[in-house]
Amino acid sequence: MFGKYDLDVTLAEDGVKIVVEDAGKRKRYYRKCGKEEVEKFIHADTGRIVVCPVEPVNIPLPNPAEHLQIELDKPLIVASGERDTFYTTFPVEVGVFLVDRKDVERIDLFTKTKPKFTLYGPPESGIVCKWWQSSIYSEPPKVKKLREGVFKVDIRNEYHEWMEIQKLVFCGHEMKMFYNDHAYLHGFIKIQKRTVGDTGFISRKPKDMHGSIDIHLAKGLKRLENYVMEWGFK
Amino acid sequence: MGIQMIDIVASIKDALNEPITFLGSNNPPTYGEVLEFFLILLIGFIIARIIRFYLRRTLKERMPKNTANNVIKVVYYGILSIVFLISLNLIHVSLSGLLVAGGILGIVIGFASQTVVSNLISGLFLVIEKPVKVGDGVDIDGVSGIVTDIRILSTTIRTYDGIYTRIPNDKVFSSHIQNYVAHGARRFGYTVGIRYGDDAEKAISIIKKLLDDHPFVLHNPSPTIFVKNLADSSVEISIKIWSPSSCWYDVYTEMLWKIKVALEKEGIEIPFPQRVIWMAGKNNQ
Repeated sequence: MFGKYDLDVTLAEDGVKIVVEDAGKRKRYYRKCGKEEVEKFIHADTGRIVVCPVEPVNIPLPNPAEHLQIELDKPLIVASGERDTFYTTFPVEVGVFLVDRKDVERIDLFTKTKPKFTLYGPPESGIVCKWWQSSIYSEPPKVKKLREGVFKVDIRNEYHEWMEIQKLVFCGHEMKMFYNDHAYLHGFIKIQKRTVGDTGFISRKPKDMHGSIDIHLAKGLKRLENYVMEWGFK
Repeated sequence: MGIQMIDIVASIKDALNEPITFLGSNNPPTYGEVLEFFLILLIGFIIARIIRFYLRRTLKERMPKNTANNVIKVVYYGILSIVFLISLNLIHVSLSGLLVAGGILGIVIGFASQTVVSNLISGLFLVIEKPVKVGDGVDIDGVSGIVTDIRILSTTIRTYDGIYTRIPNDKVFSSHIQNYVAHGARRFGYTVGIRYGDDAEKAISIIKKLLDDHPFVLHNPSPTIFVKNLADSSVEISIKIWSPSSCWYDVYTEMLWKIKVALEKEGIEIPFPQRVIWMAGKNNQ
């Protein structure tokens, strides 16, 4: 379903249907996802429709979270000085955009996952995060494409003790999302102290993948900054 | 031609050095000094405008609009006042005399504007301490609503009924303030009564599942559900829920009815108050 299409298209996959068709002088946009239906009219002659995964911190609206917390179903213990790479899944939110040479306009946003939120840190200073539980995989897992994406995580324990990791928190606004037939993220976590670590994203585009449209930052202004996890990893 | 120019310059110089006698002062300023006074005022004014322009650009992204405006006003008028006071010396206005006069005037104005000054100082402290921000849901001295503006003298609130309410800053500063959104999450709770004949553990698991399905009932801290009291007419179950501060009220208004419906769907009822009455029969006579 992900890709770039002309303003006359019908897409259907995994219970999601997207239709853009002529409706007199205008175009009619229709989307159905589960019981939710959206219908809009587009007045444009040029431009294309882009359907791509977006940062999974937008739905439901208004969204109280800017961060995504991935809770591992089984903790990972990393020795001091060790590096590792593993895969998890993350919730997919799909954006539908109208694009032309001058502008990008989001016309729809939907998800097949059930959103859930959590608090990372204490109530007085913690942050509300979108919550997602995942297993750890050594190889890229097979995912339900409209529900889950593949998240490659590089981990490095710079602390002088063994560390047990069960929670990973990433800033949603800093995400650099890619896609081909599924959504893909490549992030990292550097453990610096017992309760402190840096998380961030690698913006290098993998081979045979396309860059998604960033909802939160205008094109060209994206500045990848790390998020500092300061309330531990368990 | 050159000699004529020199003459003109010399005559201008003479004119500028001429004291302004019609002012009637013992030590009148010259025309040149007055010109210099206005020039310095003009330069001070331009400098103040330039600083204001750069402050606007610098503070735009770094602090709320109202706070930035207040800071800019204080800096702008502060520069103008300092330039004015310094340049007064050029037109032979003695600052010491002004200070005495200003002192007396200050006392008079001070008494008259005690409340205004109190509000002003409180406003500055509010800007520094930031117990509330524009857009926060708050309760200040019994007034609940959304903060719409924090000015130098007053804070305005749009109450939840949509009423404009202005609270003087000294009252805001000295009042008990509750900021409902200062923390990321907050807790609220319900007490639900079920019949003595119902299974409390089943009721707890029904409520827990319902809460787990709601996006804004936080996964962590997880909801707390327990039998709180064996009351006169019911077994009371206490439900404590953590929710994001920005949307807790929506969850609060939504969940109680959903809990009632979910319990009744599983045959667990919320009882009416009841009393068991034992009637005196023949055997008891």
